[in-house]
Amino acid sequence: MGNVVLSEHQVVDASPEEVFLCFGRSRQAGWLFGAECDEVQPGSVVRLALPMGRLSGEEVLEGTGRIVSVKPNRRIVLQQETPWRGTLTCTIRAEGPKRSRVRVTSEVPEDAVAWLMRRGGADPDREDDPDSWPVGLLVSSSGPASVLCGASVELAQMAIEEINADGRVAGRFLRLEVGDDGTDPRRGAAEMLRLIEHRRCQVVITNVISATFNALAPIARRAGVLLIYAPMNEGGLCQSGLFRFGERPSSQLRGSISRLMRETGGRRWYLAGNDYCWPKAANRSARRIIERAGGSVVGTRYEAIGRRRFEPLLEDIEASGAELIVSTFIGGDEAEFERQCYEYGLRSRTQTVALVLDEATRQHVGDAASEGLWSPLGYFEQLPTAANEQFVKRYRRRVGPYAPPISSLSESVYEAIHLHASAARKARSWDQSAVGRALESGVFDGPRGRVSVRDPSTVDQGIFLARSSGGGLTVDEQIA
Amino acid sequence: MTDGIRSSATEQSLALDALADPTRREILQVVTDGEDTTVNEIAAQVPGVGRTAVSSHLRVLRVAGLVTDRRDGRFRRYSVNQRVAAEVMEFLSGLLKVSLTDLASSQRPADGESSSRGKRRPQ
Repeated sequence: MGNVVLSEHQVVDASPEEVFLCFGRSRQAGWLFGAECDEVQPGSVVRLALPMGRLSGEEVLEGTGRIVSVKPNRRIVLQQETPWRGTLTCTIRAEGPKRSRVRVTSEVPEDAVAWLMRRGGADPDREDDPDSWPVGLLVSSSGPASVLCGASVELAQMAIEEINADGRVAGRFLRLEVGDDGTDPRRGAAEMLRLIEHRRCQVVITNVISATFNALAPIARRAGVLLIYAPMNEGGLCQSGLFRFGERPSSQLRGSISRLMRETGGRRWYLAGNDYCWPKAANRSARRIIERAGGSVVGTRYEAIGRRRFEPLLEDIEASGAELIVSTFIGGDEAEFERQCYEYGLRSRTQTVALVLDEATRQHVGDAASEGLWSPLGYFEQLPTAANEQFVKRYRRRVGPYAPPISSLSESVYEAIHLHASAARKARSWDQSAVGRALESGVFDGPRGRVSVRDPSTVDQGIFLARSSGGGLTVDEQIA
Repeated sequence: MTDGIRSSATEQSLALDALADPTRREILQVVTDGEDTTVNEIAAQVPGVGRTAVSSHLRVLRVAGLVTDRRDGRFRRYSVNQRVAAEVMEFLSGLLKVSLTDLASSQRPADGESSSRGKRRPQ
């Protein structure tokens, strides 16, 4: 199945101006015209609630996209990013005083059709290229974490092309094989098995959340597959063939906590996050650091991923008298939490450091609601190095101005693929035990500077503390 | 397999459970690669698994909606369920249709004007 283009149209009892005006305003207008959108202009992010029908268990899947072009009262073009990629074009033509013909055209590329078919229970990929080595990539293309992973597939593809341009690796070129965990460990496990058994991957690189990652590690061990965990993580059991490259909570928190306490004079901290392993480990670290710095934790609360009923939490934060907040919400949940904190009025009496507030999430929070939020990460799209500027330029040249921003979560995947390929070249082999041994002393000079693998669970890298202001994340200081 | 009324959430779980077993995954691959294969043909390509075991694995795959079968004389022939491709097409065009019908009903005077302009409220 190749690209799919579909079109439908309908006469509507409203003038083109009225139709255009209703876009992004009211849920009543349906999943597309009623999508959440703060401003109808190119570059604005859009949140969709897609009714999946029988294809996916009658769920309503959260989707994200970006407005690409606007011709007032005539046309809106939208690039959908999650749960599957595609382009949606809405055109409006007058057909009478209070009548319009509205046409919606959807263009869905091949890989998105494949994703939809897998969601429906089939496995459409059958061709195997015997002359290339498959590199597995497991991301969250759907579900709450999908906000974080937007640039990952494109950056991974860019890395593969750069590597192939330099020549073969262990005798062959590389190709990318992508799976989607849907921000769900069971689905992640099934996709991991598909990548290993159907797509024949002997290495998988992933930036899914820890809850899924913990389900993948035993599968990788049993299958003898090298597994690289690229994003921030709390560490864990060591096993051969398993590498963790991302930021550790203590590295993110140490400098952030002391900075915020200095900046505000505040002492009372509230720890709020999603209910799974990584936020809990991060909060254990936060508590230790806070108490050592002379502060105190006045409240801790966890919310299930996707639930987003934050009123009780916001009331609790207010009642606790907290001046400072550590947020360990992720993706769409973090975006909604920060929006609600802002609308509740918490910004006048608290400051927040959010451990997974990347550029993409910040866009979904919005400029006003994200103003002043602190974010400690190993990479920011705005890092002012020559290497990074070139890197961002290369990405934008591929995807245009309206694709998702790069962030630590997607850039770490790019680096991991390069590190792995270098190790395979050093080992002159695709045997992943040999590659793993070479990877243990891997070094890569990339967009975030020099990254050195110290051991399978530690990578030497800088951590930067950034602040959200004026529509972006600006690096304030290096804290590690 | 009948396309009876069945909770779609269960369907998802069934498919995931069906795929949890490595032998079943191997059998599914054989059915996928082949065309209209019989139980004997499948068993011949999955070493170490007898006819009866293959049959019962196929039953699980059938219930999960991953394979479909048809009678051919004395034999049952198995193939991958092609309905999914058709379902995806149906789903995508249905999605576009519903986006327009919802828009149309929100604009009808009898249903009231869409809610006022202004900042989006949280859910």
